[in-house]
This record gives sequence, structure tokens and C-alpha cells, in this order.
Amino acid sequence: MAFTLRSVKVPPNSASLEEARSRVFDFFRQACRSIPTIMDIYNLDDVVTKSELRSSISSEIRKNSHVTNPKVIDLLLFKGMEELNNIVEHAKQRHHIIGQYVLGRQGLAQDLDTKDEGTSDFLKNFYKSNYL
Amino acid sequence: MGLGLLASRTLKTSRILSSQYSRFRPIVTKPGLQSPDASAAAPATQPEPTPPPPKKPVGGARFHFTNPDDALEVFVDGFPVKIPKGMTVLQACEIAGVDIPRFCYHSRLSIAGNCRMCLVEVEKSPKPVASCAMPALPGMKIKTDTPLAKKAREGVMEFLLMNHPLDCPICDQGGECDLQDQSMAFGSDRGRFTEMKRSVVDKNLGPLVKTVMTRCIQCTRCVRFATEVAGVQDLGMLGRGSGEEIGTYVEKLMTSELSGNVIDICPVGALTSKPFAFKARNWELKGTETIDVTDAVGSNIRIDSRGPEVMRILPRLNEDINEEWISDKTRFCYDGLKRQRLNDPMIRDANGRFKAVSWRDALAVVAEVALQVKPEEIVGIAGKLSDAESMMALKDLLNNMGSNNVWCEGTGTSPNADLRYRYLMNSSIAGLEKADVFLLVGTQPRVEAAMVNARIRKTVRASNAKVAYIGPPTEFNYDCQHLGTGPQTLIEIAEGRHSFCSAISNAKNPAIIVGAGLFERDDKDAIFAAVEAIAKNGNVIRPDWNGFNVLLLNAAQAAALDLGLVPESSNSIESAKFLYLMGADDVNLDKVPADAFVVYQGHHGDQSVYRANVILPSAAFSEKEGTYENTEGCSQQTLPAVPTVGDARDDWKIIRALSEVAGIRLPYDTLGAIRSRMRTVAPNLLNTDEIEPAAFGPSLSLDCSQKISSTPFKAAVENFYMTDSITRASKIMAQCSAMLLKK
Repeated sequence: MAFTLRSVKVPPNSASLEEARSRVFDFFRQACRSIPTIMDIYNLDDVVTKSELRSSISSEIRKNSHVTNPKVIDLLLFKGMEELNNIVEHAKQRHHIIGQYVLGRQGLAQDLDTKDEGTSDFLKNFYKSNYL
Repeated sequence: MGLGLLASRTLKTSRILSSQYSRFRPIVTKPGLQSPDASAAAPATQPEPTPPPPKKPVGGARFHFTNPDDALEVFVDGFPVKIPKGMTVLQACEIAGVDIPRFCYHSRLSIAGNCRMCLVEVEKSPKPVASCAMPALPGMKIKTDTPLAKKAREGVMEFLLMNHPLDCPICDQGGECDLQDQSMAFGSDRGRFTEMKRSVVDKNLGPLVKTVMTRCIQCTRCVRFATEVAGVQDLGMLGRGSGEEIGTYVEKLMTSELSGNVIDICPVGALTSKPFAFKARNWELKGTETIDVTDAVGSNIRIDSRGPEVMRILPRLNEDINEEWISDKTRFCYDGLKRQRLNDPMIRDANGRFKAVSWRDALAVVAEVALQVKPEEIVGIAGKLSDAESMMALKDLLNNMGSNNVWCEGTGTSPNADLRYRYLMNSSIAGLEKADVFLLVGTQPRVEAAMVNARIRKTVRASNAKVAYIGPPTEFNYDCQHLGTGPQTLIEIAEGRHSFCSAISNAKNPAIIVGAGLFERDDKDAIFAAVEAIAKNGNVIRPDWNGFNVLLLNAAQAAALDLGLVPESSNSIESAKFLYLMGADDVNLDKVPADAFVVYQGHHGDQSVYRANVILPSAAFSEKEGTYENTEGCSQQTLPAVPTVGDARDDWKIIRALSEVAGIRLPYDTLGAIRSRMRTVAPNLLNTDEIEPAAFGPSLSLDCSQKISSTPFKAAVENFYMTDSITRASKIMAQCSAMLLKK
């Protein structure tokens, strides 16, 4: 698996937005197919489920949903492929995966709450850190 | 044998030859240097070179002429400078902007003149003179940069380095060593010394000062500091010649509350800080100029930190408060900032164990309980280390909840916050130097405020001021008369029956210092009335001199009283259902009802935490920006030196957040906004580094009908080294109190 992924050359540029779009879906499928391996090598079974990992991959992709330039999409795809390669090749450690994809970008601060709607910016910042 | 080998051989021999030659480098004598007349005559024949533009005085050295006739003019490197009579040559050079190298000379100590590093050439003098000990005479032509002066310094350096070990790489003074710097600047580039260096046995001076006596250059600064400033006869000079050593005469520790300052004045690495030994190099430290909070003096300090860790604390020059000294408690309490810290908000569960929770949950619990109790059952107590901003926020929060039971610990049950002169040191710390008679009432300045005590000692030494005290028998480091132990003596003086009355009335500037420990007494109003009677009889308060002083104990006290943190009822703590402790650890919590909900907001897990139901972690003084007012009414600001520990927050932010969770939002989001709120209550707190004198004198005070009790005065501070949550958590302070306190 790992070697097949690594052998992927830098693909030619996408000619149109449609082509870039289909490549994104291909990438997503490829990533989803490697989830069982990732769960296996990083021993993630007791911290996360496959569907959670899938949704975190899709949310990473959706973060860039505003991008319309095919060249930019190609670059982002390349970076995503690189990241996937690194993960599948076990070039990372368990805490990297947990920190980045299981807990999310918020880090360990699980202090978020839907009750916060009416509170002031001061209180929101107070909950986050002393230095905001 | 190849050609290259031959060549290298010849090179080697020639190198040996040259090095041998350099070992026996002759001391060149130039006839022009030997006869000053010739050297003086020589430039006279040449056209006078234009003198360089005037330099700025070294280190902001300044002076003022009390009498214009006293001025005299000397020439430093050809540039004329006017100085007052009685200055030394070295001081004249400093005024002229020329820094003379020195080891033994220190401006705050007596002159020893034994290091000979400050040699300069004076015209018409046969030899170079030691500038620190030579008074400047009118028309003296001082030359600091001549070959003779340079040669003299080089020779002195050579002799000093003869017995100085070459252990700079493992010396803690490395990087801030006078000897290192001056040997680079003035020393020779080679040594001629081949014999063994002498070695000296290290002395044990206690848990604070590490000694490596082989490094000592016998400047005797530490001996002079101990006898003159600290007032202990612990250090001295033993032996003569090359056998000369600094030491305690008998096996004895240095028992002074100012002993840490010998580390700063030691020009070499002979006396260094024991807790700081091998911890860091001075160039990797970040210095933050801030304020000390371990007593009410507000000494100016510099916190040296590396990353998130406070590595050491050094004094900062402030002539009006601490000069350039700080007490040992200030200097060495910093390891308490790393121990016993509260990291996370915690709630006590049903089993009585604390459980870490999120800020959201902790504040929700506190707000819920606070809103359920009756307003008059809500009590807030600020701790002795609280800054003015957080005390303002605490008072606003409790007032918004409908309670007015908020005070600062140590101010007693019914503090008098209306008359500002009744809780301030009205003659100011620097002003104590003008006093000629001191009456200490129920105070032990040596343990309560070591810097104020150093000021009194300085006055006693300089002008033979008379000191008398009323209180438990105590040790002073200056001559002191014990008048009595209790209020009885005070009344005798107030009624003019005591022999000390004449001393007060005959004095030009009498000063009365009342300890803040008396605030805790029930008859404090009567005692203050008696003190004011003494002040009135002795003419202590005049337009030009106010000698009525109160010596506070805690850093937060003055600001708390300025902000009006006064409890509404004196027994509110017995009926409290919701008790908010903002770092208050010295409050007696025995009387708190068992069903009361206690919130502890603070940085250390100290005494009050045992009773707390919820813990809210806050920042220590080294981690936050806050305003503190010292005992003389001078407000100063701390600056954050290191980041906060764990999930802690600034004190005022916690109260602001709690107010919003409880639905009574305080109207400030920033430090600037809370300061403008403070401006409406106590504008003097915003004028930093300025003393705001008390407005009204005792003419306003009301007559007191209280009965004075005969209980003798108690010592306010049991243990100098451990007075607050930071110092109680400190290992060094624990060692000090175990070893240095007299049992």
C-alpha cells in the first residue's frame, strides 16, 4: 500500500475545475480506503471510530471548499497526498494522529459549549486562555 | 628528515625563544613617566590639544551645591568640572563622565582604599594616587588616561590575578564579574606568574550565600556592608599579607535579614547565591523590572527568568524606597513560585476530595451558590498579596450582589480608611533620614519591613538618632532603648509622665512609627488616640515635617484601605454562608459556619485551601500586571515576567468572568477599563512611582471614648522568612527559618 502510494508521480495539472473536483473525490476515496490500515498501525481502535476519522478527513477537505482555482486545488491535493503518505508509511507517531485528527484543531480544550451563545467576547476568551 | 620537518623545528625553537623572552619581559621604565615635572613640562611646550567634548556623568551621578562657596574646580583629562567640597577624586571623575575602574570602592559603604585599582595620575604628585580615598583639591589636574595610570592599573590587575583561580567557566559570577570585565579592559594580555596559586578554605555562611573564598580579592566590601548597612558583626578580616582572608571569626552563620546583598556587592565570584548556583548564566536570562510584594515596602526588583521559570530576583535602584538593597525574603522567595501551585479549577466532591473541572463548570457552581444565599451572608476577603485592580473588582462584585462585607486581611475588624494619614508612613521612607528621635510603637521593623529598618539604621549611624521602642523585647541592629511592653507606657508618654517625653519634645524632627499589628487589637482606636496625643505634645506634625507613621505589614494593605475595603460588620465571618477568599490565607477560618460555601481564588495551595469548596487558580505577582501601593503611599506596578501556571487566570479576570456568569456583569473588560474605574475611587493609585501624601492631619480625628486595655503588644510577624503563601511554599525560606531564626 505504502509503496504504491509513494510511486504516484506529480500528476499533470488539472485542465478544468471538473477534473480537479473528480481528483478530490478520488483522493477522498483513497484516504478512506487507508483508514483501516491507519487504525491498525496507530492503534486507534479505542480512541476513535472509522466514521469519525472519515468525517475528520472530509472536514479537512471541506475547509478548502471555497477554492476555485484548479492550480490551487492541485497543490492542496498534492499536500494532502503527501500527508496521507506520511501517515500510511508510519512516518508519524500516535500522538500526532490523535492531536491532529481525533481531538481536532482545538487541542485539548474541550470547554466548548452551545450555552455560550449569549456570553461576551471577554468570557469566551477567558475560557480559552489567560492571554487573549 | 624532510624540509618541512626542518622548517617546523626551526619554527618551534624560535617560538620557545620568543616565549622565554616574553616570560622575562622587562618592566619598561620611561623617564618621562617617572618625573612628573618633566611630563608636566612636556605638553606645555606643545600646542594645547583641544579638550574632548564634555561627557555625561557616569550612571546619572549628580549633586547639588548647598552653598555656592563650597564649589571648587578640578580638571579631569583637561576638562574643567565644578564639584562640591569634600568630594573624592573618583567622584569628581564620575561627575566629569570618566568611569574609574574600582573593586573596593562602593558609594554606599565607607572607603577602604585597599584594592588600588582606581589609581589615577595627578599633576605634581610624585606617585599615582588612589582616587577613591583622595579628596579633590582646588585646581587639581587629574589624568585618568595617561600611560602611567594605565600601567598602574595593569600592575594592580596582575597582582590581583596572581592568586585568583582561572575557573571562570564554572564560576557563577561569569558574565557579570567586575574582575573579568576589568581584566579584559585594563589587564595585561599575558601573565608572568608561574608559581602555585594560594587556596583558601570556604566558609559556611548559611543557606543563602555560597562562598568560594579562593576567588576572593580582599576588597572587604562584604565586611563593610555587614558592619555598616546590615549591622551585624559577623564578617571580618583575618590574617595579613598573602594569608589575608575574609571569614567569620568563629564557626558561625551570617544571621542578617540583608545578607543576600553581599552577593551583589561582591565584585568577583567569592560570594554567590547558593540557590542560584549552577542554575543559569546571566546572559540567557530575561530581566523584568517589577515590584516586590512580600512586605509593604514595595522594593523595586528585577525578576530574571528563563522561559517560564523565575531564576533569581535582584534589587533595582530606587533611592526613595530600597536604595540598592533588598531583604533576603524578597531575594530568595522565588522558589516558592514553583511549589504548591494551583493549576486547575477544582471542586470538592462529596468525599471531600478535590476534582479538577473546567473553568465553565467551576464558575457555574460558584455563581449558582452565590445567587442562592442572602446578600448579607456574602463575605469577601482579599489576601495580603492582592493587587489593587483585583481588589477593586472584588469590591464591585460583592457590592453588586448587595453585600458590603469585603475587606483585606490584616487590617482588623474596623479599619479606619477615611483618614489616610492613619495608615500611611507619612514622613516617607527616605524622609526617615531627617528624623533624630524614633519612637517605635508595637512594631519590629527588622522583621516587618527590613528595608525601613535599614533606613532607620542608616539614620542612627549618620546622625546618632535616638531610638526607643514599646513592645515585646526584641533584637535591634542599632542602639535602642526599651521603654515598656504595653499600652501603659504609651499612656505615660502621652500624659507626659515618662522620661522619654523630653526627648521627643527636644527633638527637631521626631518620628513615631506605629506597627500595623496593632490594627488587630480591639482597643486600636484608643491606642491611636494616645499616639496622636504624643504627636500633638511633641509637635511631631508640622507643615514642614510629618513624623506620624504607620508601618504596614502587607503589600495589599494600603491600596485596600484606599479603595475602601472596609467590612460593614465586625462579626460577618461568623454568619457567612458564602465566603470568597481572594488569596486570603491568614484569616482565621475556625469561626466560619460548617455549611458555608468557601471559594478560594489564589495561586498557592496554602492554609485556606483546606477549608475551600471551590478553588479558582490565579496568577502570582510575577505573572501579572497589577498596582500595589506601599506603606508610604507610593503606588507602583508589577509587570509579568513569566507566563501563568497551568490553567490559571489573572485575578481581576476571574472576578469579571464570575460576575458575568452570575448575571451581574461588571462593566470592564480590560485592565485599562478597570483602572479608569479605580480612578473614580482612588486616583492616587494611577499615579505610579509618586507618593501621594495624606491630605488631612489629626485635627480632623474624632475623640475616642474607647478604653485602652493593658494587654502588652504582640509581635506581628512570628517568622520573618515565612509570612505569606509564596514564602511558606519556598524551600529556601524553610531552610532559613530552620537555621537562622533564634529559638
